[in-house]
Amino acid sequence: MTKGGAPGLVLRGVTKTFGGVHALDSVDLCVMPGEVHGLLGANGSGKSTLIKVLSGFHAPDSGSLQIDGRSIALPMPLGRSEAYGLAFVHQNLGLLPEATVLENLIAGDHERLNPWRINWRAESDRARRLFAEYQLDLSPDQTVEELLPVERALLAIVRAADRVREHRNQSASGILVLDEPTPFLPQQDVRRLFGIMGRLKKMGVSIIFVSHDIDEVLEVTDRSTVLRDGKVIGSYDTAVTDRDTLVRAIVGRAVSVDRRVSALPIAKPVVEISGLTGSILKNVALSVQPGEVLGLTGLIGAGHDEVTTLLSGACPAKSGMLTLAERKLDLTQLRPADAIAARIAFIPADRQRLGIAPDLTLTENAMLPRLGSSVMLNHAKLRRLTMDLLRRFAVKADNPGQPASELSGGNQQKVVLGKWLQLRPQLVLLDEPTQGIDVGARQEIYDRLAEVCEEGGAVICATSEFEQLEAIAHRVLVFDRGVIKAELKGSDVTKALIAKACYEGTQIHAAE
Amino acid sequence: MRQSKVTYQLERFGLVFVWLAFIALFGFMRPDTFLTWSNFSTIFGSEAVLVIVTLGLIIPLTAGDFDLSIAQVLTLVSMSTAILDARLDVPLIIVLPVVLAIGALIGLINGFITLYFRVNSLIVTLGVGTFLHGVTLWIGNSQTISGVSPALMEWVIIQRLWGIPIAFYYAMLLAAMIWYMLSYTAFGQHLLFTGRGREVGRLTGVAVGRVRLLAFVLSGMMGAVAGVLYTGTTGSANPSSGTFLLLPAFAAAFLGATCIRPGRFNPWGSVIAVYFLVTGINGLSVLGFRTFVQDLFYGGALVLAVMVSQIVSGRKERGL
Repeated sequence: MTKGGAPGLVLRGVTKTFGGVHALDSVDLCVMPGEVHGLLGANGSGKSTLIKVLSGFHAPDSGSLQIDGRSIALPMPLGRSEAYGLAFVHQNLGLLPEATVLENLIAGDHERLNPWRINWRAESDRARRLFAEYQLDLSPDQTVEELLPVERALLAIVRAADRVREHRNQSASGILVLDEPTPFLPQQDVRRLFGIMGRLKKMGVSIIFVSHDIDEVLEVTDRSTVLRDGKVIGSYDTAVTDRDTLVRAIVGRAVSVDRRVSALPIAKPVVEISGLTGSILKNVALSVQPGEVLGLTGLIGAGHDEVTTLLSGACPAKSGMLTLAERKLDLTQLRPADAIAARIAFIPADRQRLGIAPDLTLTENAMLPRLGSSVMLNHAKLRRLTMDLLRRFAVKADNPGQPASELSGGNQQKVVLGKWLQLRPQLVLLDEPTQGIDVGARQEIYDRLAEVCEEGGAVICATSEFEQLEAIAHRVLVFDRGVIKAELKGSDVTKALIAKACYEGTQIHAAE
Repeated sequence: MRQSKVTYQLERFGLVFVWLAFIALFGFMRPDTFLTWSNFSTIFGSEAVLVIVTLGLIIPLTAGDFDLSIAQVLTLVSMSTAILDARLDVPLIIVLPVVLAIGALIGLINGFITLYFRVNSLIVTLGVGTFLHGVTLWIGNSQTISGVSPALMEWVIIQRLWGIPIAFYYAMLLAAMIWYMLSYTAFGQHLLFTGRGREVGRLTGVAVGRVRLLAFVLSGMMGAVAGVLYTGTTGSANPSSGTFLLLPAFAAAFLGATCIRPGRFNPWGSVIAVYFLVTGINGLSVLGFRTFVQDLFYGGALVLAVMVSQIVSGRKERGL
């Protein structure tokens, strides 16, 4: 502890397990009044679990919370955190775009508003005073969709700060949790965000700043805590800490991952992409050779996952050409049916909405791409093919006629994989293919991808799990704000080096 | 968690059992009026129109869209048929394709507005239906038009097969065709994915827009067929004929989705649901209840049907 005085928020020994796995392992966190405290960690380090314990979304197995010296029983009752002076701004901001700034500002402010009569003029004046105080150039009557992304973020922060202040008494100043507010903001706008954080700090508000961006954390925080695998690795005084220390704390010692990639002979690429531009990606070019697993990664908002949605025709690209086995496809015109005809398979991240129809049966889900325009479906044959597929992909299911919703996530994903791989694709696109899937199913999915490669197919896998890339990727491209900033090959494809490339690249645009 | 075979079969045929129980109850109370062949053959024949409207509804419902205009398609087509046939003496061989095309065109309009402007089909078809009712009143001068050629009536209601008017068999033929379409064609699966997993279908190459459009066209055509049969059944066209069919058709479609293939809109379930509902109403009116039982029964059945299907599926939030 570097400052004197009583801490604003103290968490002690917070432990949370999911199915026997420690998401949080006796985590301590201490935030002083008027302190900006960074919370750092890679994907799956426990950052979001910790925030969800604070907001009351998760009940911890054990642990205690104190705010301003007052003990607060955990689990925090949902929606009560504001009453204790704790407010959250999540990445999606929680604003309603169609509503006005004022409507958004007072939404949910049950403590102060008269539910039977809202005095709009008084509220509008109050909003103007509030914006003036925080030096924000916002009009209460604008709709939120007219605002710039950064203005929306500022509005959400001011709203949270206002709620915290409502509940503060003489001694307590409140705590604001900013959960990854910056990844989708342009660089110059991040400054405006830091500006408001500075003003809040002067008012004595504590801020927990959750981020993956080490440079931002170094710039804006007083202290920071690093989590890895659910444990606190350390708390650092940021004034006397350098980025390498933090990177090392985040990534940890390289654990040996079972790397299952064999060397590839140099060959002519089977997939070539040029000028790919989407909502994040800017003029990206890349190629894949037969039998290769190309990994795409980056921090949140880097755009690596957009590659798969554009190449599959799920969303039209702003520009881009795909050459697949000498065949040219215009990515601005590509529809999913064209992609399938070109033997491209896409296994999306959002399984429940895009991957599988939970109400429909396994047969229906698995056989849909094989039906063509048949007017004489042979149900016995489809059922047989499905049983065959379930066996080949080791899906644990009772029978092909059961709804997909009855299967576990891992088994559902194996059905999705089977549905696409039965078409013998030339190019397999995957987006976070093992999200929410147990270790056993993961290995089986890797095995199936290895088979695709043996048969000369190409695989592009977008993921934020570095370990997964070390396990399966021949080559890794690291993305940052829509462009490729690093390429790792062969023995360089390790969790540590990928992480280093991801976190280091942020230095480049910090200097911009 | 798999339910046992027995409970599943009970669920599939539950509505049939309730229907048979109704027949037994009414038959026991009024054996001489209710439980007569002529009563049943009348029910089977005259309600063929409602069966066809219900069958028309389940096509867009399967694709996740409402077609509230179908009853007014029926009215408009019924009126057009009567005017063309009785007033203008156009031969039936020309009238039939013309009115079918009217139905298809209205489906096309419904589909185009829904898809191109991305408006909820509930609103689009509600408006289009009311508009069509206006057109019907206009062209028919708000009057009932009679004097339809006997040939039409002959081939709808007068001819009987095994004692039941031939209209019933038309309805069964259409039910069989839709059953085949939904069960044995790729298009049927495309409809299903469009309704229950639209994005999954789209990413698997299903042209979901075209599927929805075609569903509207088919329901428009079914409405047209029902309109022709309506004119044939009554020998005339009146401008409010379809108005009282929309709610019963919806009740039957949702009630039908609780049996035969529970959880899905299905043609045989719809047929059973229609006859279950009209048996109930017929029986209650034989017992002496007055016309208000219709509304009580149809409205109650619709709400009950969706409640039952939600309980069966575990009260999940869903679109249709």
